[in-house]
Amino acid sequence: MKVSLNWLKDYIKIKESRETLAELMSLHSQEVEYTQQLVKAKGLVIGYTKSCKPHPDADKLSVCEVDVKTETLTIVCGAPNVAAGQHVIVAKNGAVLPGGFEIKQTTIRGVESNGMICSLDELGIEHKFHNEEGIHVIEGDVTMGDDALKALFLDDEVIALDLTPNRMDLLSMHGVAYDFAAILDRDITIPEVTIAYEKTKNSMTITTETELCESYYGSVIENLEIKPSPLWMKARLIAAGIRPINNVVDITNYVMLETGQPLHAFDYDLLDSEQIVVRTAKKGETFVTLDDKKRLLEEGDILITNGKEPVALGGVMGGAKTEVHGKTTRILLESAVFNPTQIRLTSSRLDLRSESSMRFERRVDVGRTRYALDRATELLIKYANATVRKDVAYFDHTDQSEKIIEIALERINRVLGSDYSTEHVARVLTRLRFDFKEKHGVFYVKKPTRRPDFESYQDLIEEIGRISGYDALPATLPSTVSQGELSPLQRFRRHVRQALTGLGLDEVMTYNLVSKDDVLTYVKEKTLKPIRIKHPMSDKRNVLRLSAINGLLDVVSHNRARQADAVHVFELGKSYQKSGERELLTLAMNGPYQSRKWQETPETSFFTLKGVLEALADFLGVQGLEYEQTSLENYHPHQTAIVTLKGETLGIIGKIHPQNTKRLDLDDVYVLEFDLMKLFEVSQTEFAYETISKLPSVSRDIAIVCDKSIPVKMLMATIKKQNIEIFKSVDVFDVYEGEHVGANQKSLGLRMVFADSTRTLKTEEIDQATNKIIKALEEKHQATLR
Amino acid sequence: MDVNKTIKELEVALKEALDGVEKIEALQDVKAQFIGKKADLSLLMRHMKDLPNEEKPAFGQTINEAKQRFSALIEARRETILAKKMANKLKKETIDVTLPGPSYTLGTPHLLRKITAEIEDLFMGMGYLVKEGPEIESDELNFEKLNLPKEHPARDMQDSFYLTEDTLLRTHTSPVQVRTMLEYGGAKPVKIICPGVVYRRDDDDATHSHQFMQVEGLVVDEKTSLSDLKGTLLAVAKHMFGEDRKIRLRPSYFPFTEPSFEVDVTCSQCDGDGCSMCKQTGYIEILGAGMVHNNVLEASGYDSSRYQGFAFGMGVERIAMLKYGIDDIRHFYVNDLRFNHQFKGGKS
Repeated sequence: MKVSLNWLKDYIKIKESRETLAELMSLHSQEVEYTQQLVKAKGLVIGYTKSCKPHPDADKLSVCEVDVKTETLTIVCGAPNVAAGQHVIVAKNGAVLPGGFEIKQTTIRGVESNGMICSLDELGIEHKFHNEEGIHVIEGDVTMGDDALKALFLDDEVIALDLTPNRMDLLSMHGVAYDFAAILDRDITIPEVTIAYEKTKNSMTITTETELCESYYGSVIENLEIKPSPLWMKARLIAAGIRPINNVVDITNYVMLETGQPLHAFDYDLLDSEQIVVRTAKKGETFVTLDDKKRLLEEGDILITNGKEPVALGGVMGGAKTEVHGKTTRILLESAVFNPTQIRLTSSRLDLRSESSMRFERRVDVGRTRYALDRATELLIKYANATVRKDVAYFDHTDQSEKIIEIALERINRVLGSDYSTEHVARVLTRLRFDFKEKHGVFYVKKPTRRPDFESYQDLIEEIGRISGYDALPATLPSTVSQGELSPLQRFRRHVRQALTGLGLDEVMTYNLVSKDDVLTYVKEKTLKPIRIKHPMSDKRNVLRLSAINGLLDVVSHNRARQADAVHVFELGKSYQKSGERELLTLAMNGPYQSRKWQETPETSFFTLKGVLEALADFLGVQGLEYEQTSLENYHPHQTAIVTLKGETLGIIGKIHPQNTKRLDLDDVYVLEFDLMKLFEVSQTEFAYETISKLPSVSRDIAIVCDKSIPVKMLMATIKKQNIEIFKSVDVFDVYEGEHVGANQKSLGLRMVFADSTRTLKTEEIDQATNKIIKALEEKHQATLR
Repeated sequence: MDVNKTIKELEVALKEALDGVEKIEALQDVKAQFIGKKADLSLLMRHMKDLPNEEKPAFGQTINEAKQRFSALIEARRETILAKKMANKLKKETIDVTLPGPSYTLGTPHLLRKITAEIEDLFMGMGYLVKEGPEIESDELNFEKLNLPKEHPARDMQDSFYLTEDTLLRTHTSPVQVRTMLEYGGAKPVKIICPGVVYRRDDDDATHSHQFMQVEGLVVDEKTSLSDLKGTLLAVAKHMFGEDRKIRLRPSYFPFTEPSFEVDVTCSQCDGDGCSMCKQTGYIEILGAGMVHNNVLEASGYDSSRYQGFAFGMGVERIAMLKYGIDDIRHFYVNDLRFNHQFKGGKS
């Protein structure tokens, strides 16, 4: 809503600057989008072209003698429509036009020019508001030499409000005036309407067949003289952002801006009926709106008919057939109330959003429906020389019964945390012009029709709070005391983040909406169906992701393409499955890990990532991860494994298939994706303290040679299966394949640790244990001691 | 025979010999030569039997003292040799200490996670629980129970990604508030914050993202007031933007709160004087808040005649962008590591 300050001054006294008003508005009512001077120019006067002759040396220029009362100026003008005998806007030498453009004396093709005759465009008035080519020729009574902006009522300022959907009352100048009156604590005057009716009776009958039209008032206005509106009205419409057209259209718009009640004028002769019947459309019915478009209707759309055929799409747009035109002399003027939800549905479905539909959608003041009709009638009589038939035809089913909202002072103060007195609250309610009574600390406030947003006492508390000013409230903290803490899962996530960043991986966040084309690429369960977005914004984001690996590969690719040597990242995200949302832990490693720079850096491999995982598992108290070689589409067929713990699958670890990485212009990428919740479930819940043994453990190294294909995991299992009491652990310290062993063989260096917390071990028993292990390896795996 | 003279001569000879010794093996020879069993000094003892008894102790003492002195000289030389040897060894181990070390880097947590954790910690300190919920929500929990029935005009304000007729990607973390109230059964106070990922149908550009993070808060009890909301948000503003920040509440509209506010914090760049960052207003909008609407309380089983409270919601990206002057919201999801690496640890 654009608020003209000149207009506002009709209702309340204003002495504040527009900046101050804007500040007050934003602190007590609504956000102000901007404020502006309607025309940012000075030094403009009304001039009269005494003569206008062609320029002696230029085809398209004219030389005009312009009387500005104090002097006569010679001005060279390029507008084709300039002529002698016009009242025009003159920018004298020294005048400043919008954009800081200063007018100076110049010589144009040998003729001295002292000033400029202005178009409305040059005053910064958008073309859509006037549609004029060339200079502005003033129609109407003006006096030479007067300040042109004042004479044209363009010396206005505008405050543009950014309205929230609840404050429909501020879609009218009256509403804005009430709000400013309350904020500024000032008197307000809303003009009363007086109409002299003709003797001829209004013979229209107005009825409805649908409850979606709540009231409908219609006046028959005759003897109209269609012409331009008075200058002041045009200027106010422009300030409000509406294009002036002619007096009839302008008056309906003007009154809508004034009262918030949209009006519609039908050409009474074209209406060709003595009745208005409101009904809803049938499915598939069509109607031609006044923009000459045929509209396909749905059940529920509100139609205004003349009893035979539709003449308007109620509250949204009039019909082409009954449109007011240049020769209209009689109109039926409509002021009605339509169901907000229905208007919203119809106007959004047909993409017909207008100043009217916007107001109906948000609810109009049912107390102003008749007032608006009368006010427009009054203006039509005054500015279109119209007459009005006696009696207004109408029906009105709106609920205008008195509604009282109760609120106790105690509750006001409890909600606001304030310490307001009864007198203070009473004063605020008075400033708001609310009708109320107070008894024993309880306020009984009559709900005003001009505030359809009022539903409960909470709305009243808001009014009292905002008018009193929120700045005045103290800043305290809630007195409810409770225990603030993270859940075990929330703590766990922080531990994962701490461990992985500690291991040198960067955390990333990627989008959860992905393309259905590659949503399954790196997923283990190829039968999963992704969840689709009903109306996606693009094919790139039409389903919810099942894996974060694609996203992480994009991150790797993005950074490698920008000169990063290595990318090691992880994400704590989600997989969105039909069975529910699963939390994910996803890692990707590419390029040298913890580069030694000029020293030798071990090559990043499957085992680099595995080492990171083992370190994480160790930190999280997860023991006994098992790896099973697996073959999966889009992964390296021989460097990928399923990770399990006690038979439960936790996730996948492996190398992205080189064909896939090549397409991304990348070298080897190793990834891991785990179900975070499963990791959480097997993670240690509490620390278990064990006394530290004072006795040393003993380690024994052996080197064995065995068949290449035997996984280390199996050898380890055999060793563990010996159930040797003093055996603690075994690890691999060397792997060798090559000329010193057979072609299909490998040599493994194994380090076994033996210990007993109660006694020192004897050499013989360690030898015995070692031998038992070697024997088992020989028997089970044909391994030989090297 | 003058024993003292002989010793003195031996001592001179020893010193001379030691000066020429550079190796431990050679030192052994010198040692044998001067204090070994067959050394001249040892041989002097033989003369003792020729001396009168009363002179014998003094003679013995003189020789023993000499032996000790010679021994000490030899030991001193040994230490010198060893020290020299060590020094030579260490010299060979000389390194260029200005060579760089390996690039052992610690990873950087994502800035959004870092700020979320910071907010969580602040609120936990004030006794809030951190509550989470699903991102795929029902229309009922995301809208209807929040006083946004199907035809509510405010639904225009947040166009959503629907999955089916009545499920969608949540447009805010408010459904977590609803879930918590339902879980508590309208019977006990609520004091929670709800961080999480949310979605809106916005085209991605410098200031819009179809996916972003929010932290919402909710306090419901019998007396929590607007003043309490003010104090709480002031604490947030000070924590995130500095001790000197002030806040102001501007009336706004959200269907789930009444009254509703946009909350501004004084601009940290100009301290409220007006600059380009705050568009000359001195204030920057950081979050939305309000007193919980009765309809919301009732829909989740809280008796609105008894319970009241406040709710607020902030965009984590927005907080980060304002705090660090980040000019493009897409940075958070592209993960150019040159961006991510700017937000590590230190005291921040």
